[in-house]
Amino acid sequence: MALLPIPAGTRTREAQSRPGTPAAHVVPLRVLAPPYLPDAAPRELWAGMHLAAPVPAEALQRLALRAGRYTPRVSLEPPDGLLLEVKGSLHLFAGVTGLRLAVTDECRRLLGTAPVLAFAPTPRAALALARGGRPHTVLDMSALTGGLAPLPLATLRWPEDILERLARSGVRTIGAALRLPRGGFARRFGAAQLAALDALTGRAPDLRDVFRARLRFRRRRELLCELEHTCAILAALAPLLAELGTFLRTRQCGVLELECRLGHRHSPPTRCLMRLAAPAADVHRLAELLGERLAALTLPEPVRDCELRTDALMPHRPDCLHLWQPGEHGGGLSSEASGLIERLRARLGEEAIHGLAVREGHRPEKAWGKTAPPAVAGCSRTPPDHEPARLHHRPLWLLPAPQPLPVADGRPRHRGPLLLIGEPERIETGWWDGEEIARDYYTAADSHGVLLWVFREREAPHGWYLHGVFG
Amino acid sequence: MSPEFNRRGCDSSALKEHPAIWRGRSAARLEVLPSGFTALDERLPGGGWPRSGLIEILSARFGSGELYLLLPVLAALTRAAAARWCVWVAPPLMPFAPALAAAGIALDRVAVVGGARPLWAFEQVLGSGACDAALAWARQPKPRELRRLQLAAERGRTMGVLFRPRSAAREASPAVLRLGLAPHAAGVRVTLLKGRGADRGTIELTWPEGAPGRG
Repeated sequence: MALLPIPAGTRTREAQSRPGTPAAHVVPLRVLAPPYLPDAAPRELWAGMHLAAPVPAEALQRLALRAGRYTPRVSLEPPDGLLLEVKGSLHLFAGVTGLRLAVTDECRRLLGTAPVLAFAPTPRAALALARGGRPHTVLDMSALTGGLAPLPLATLRWPEDILERLARSGVRTIGAALRLPRGGFARRFGAAQLAALDALTGRAPDLRDVFRARLRFRRRRELLCELEHTCAILAALAPLLAELGTFLRTRQCGVLELECRLGHRHSPPTRCLMRLAAPAADVHRLAELLGERLAALTLPEPVRDCELRTDALMPHRPDCLHLWQPGEHGGGLSSEASGLIERLRARLGEEAIHGLAVREGHRPEKAWGKTAPPAVAGCSRTPPDHEPARLHHRPLWLLPAPQPLPVADGRPRHRGPLLLIGEPERIETGWWDGEEIARDYYTAADSHGVLLWVFREREAPHGWYLHGVFG
Repeated sequence: MSPEFNRRGCDSSALKEHPAIWRGRSAARLEVLPSGFTALDERLPGGGWPRSGLIEILSARFGSGELYLLLPVLAALTRAAAARWCVWVAPPLMPFAPALAAAGIALDRVAVVGGARPLWAFEQVLGSGACDAALAWARQPKPRELRRLQLAAERGRTMGVLFRPRSAAREASPAVLRLGLAPHAAGVRVTLLKGRGADRGTIELTWPEGAPGRG
């Protein structure tokens, strides 16, 4: 059997095929055809949802938010309708049948009533079918007119007087209206009505406003009793986090920043700002990080209420699971790296992790710098293939500031006399920015064989300093 | 078409090395990384540094040459195409970036973690799976903490190197490999304290010509 239920009264390709047409043009019913027919498929497929009774605007918006799980293109048809463009989502939700079940279920859970759901290539047609109480599926442009013909004109929600005049001239169904001559129709009933008919049958484009969900999350929760322990506070935050998860999922977004505010009786609220290395939508991970952060907090007073806030949302792309674990056969960095950065920052502070970079300059202090942690996204990169330039001998460790060395018999000492090795290297630069140095650098071995990098000031009093360790 | 590639063009040699596929002949094989020193490779179990697990390097003094011993393997790891990070946890001084770059280490894969809790951070780094190698300096880790580090390193497939004072040689350790280090004329004297299936003994390594600081 075909996967697609074909209600009576809807003309489909099978119904159209007349005796005598070549068999190859007929789609046999027994073939497990995809739920949509790719050859004659229109570019859009709209699901029109009609509710049995008008609902408040706020309830309709909530329904539209839930529908955001199925498609990003949702438009409101107040007071009792909703339109979803589902062409691209069909294969994700087991075709029209699966989508119909899922959306109906969603609506029933939220509003308590089951809607009439119809699918058609144009938004007005889908809506008219649903309002006419026919949960049909019209996938083909050529079957559209036939499917619409028996519907009463009232499903189009035209002004009452126009419907009255049409009824007086014996036109009560959409099919009858479509059979009227176009010129006469526009003259007698208005150009707007003709345009509506054109949009209905797909002769003219029908542009819809997409419902845009609010992109900021703010939820507050008053607690029944005052809490002190981190675990208890985290448990109190769990419903808010679950709400955040739904919020992010319906918008297909992730957060880069999450703020948690803990209110007290007297003190100003404790704020805890969490920055993430990559957009995250996984509530379990967020809860784990929040737990780390809360454990490090010292609260001035017990907590009376808690609030979660997000800043701008970022589009979130869920990770693919890899066959290989990271590190095996080119399995590169993925979520592990950003997870590591966030865990370290949550416990040790924002400055806990940084990268290293070489800077231009001859002064050792200015020849390196701290950078942001290595790029997370750079999984595939071209490794540096050129052989690095051989520099002068540089130690692997640098002291934060040169450390003065005592001198005995004209030789520097560091846990014993130092033995200078080789020729000195003179570094004399930096006159332009007031941090001029003029030093002679030596490699020196101490009495235990450890190699040090020491220098002697060229200026009087010619002091000796320790500046690095060779490792 | 080479025999390594089957009809679909899939690299079957990679499949053979998947750790979840057990093959009788390879049961005891240890994945290693060449150390860059031939004399050391000959003595290390499996012929190089273990790819994952905890390595302890015990030296009497900071700066005895322990880092030069690791530079070749760190350079090779960070310059690979799909390199993960190389993280330095709580180094006693700041690693000098120009010297690391001159030794061939790709700095875009190097991260430094500071902060108050080096052992906790080291365990996180080892177990995260985001790092190829991690180096840490710790004063006196407890045996239980060392065991956790070893397990984390195996979980994250990371080569974890822990630098400890020489006096720790008397204590037992769950590390895969333990080396003692002492400076030696133009090189370093390496004592193999522990290694799975390795002979104990001492090797004297000489730094290659032109090694930084040994001009």
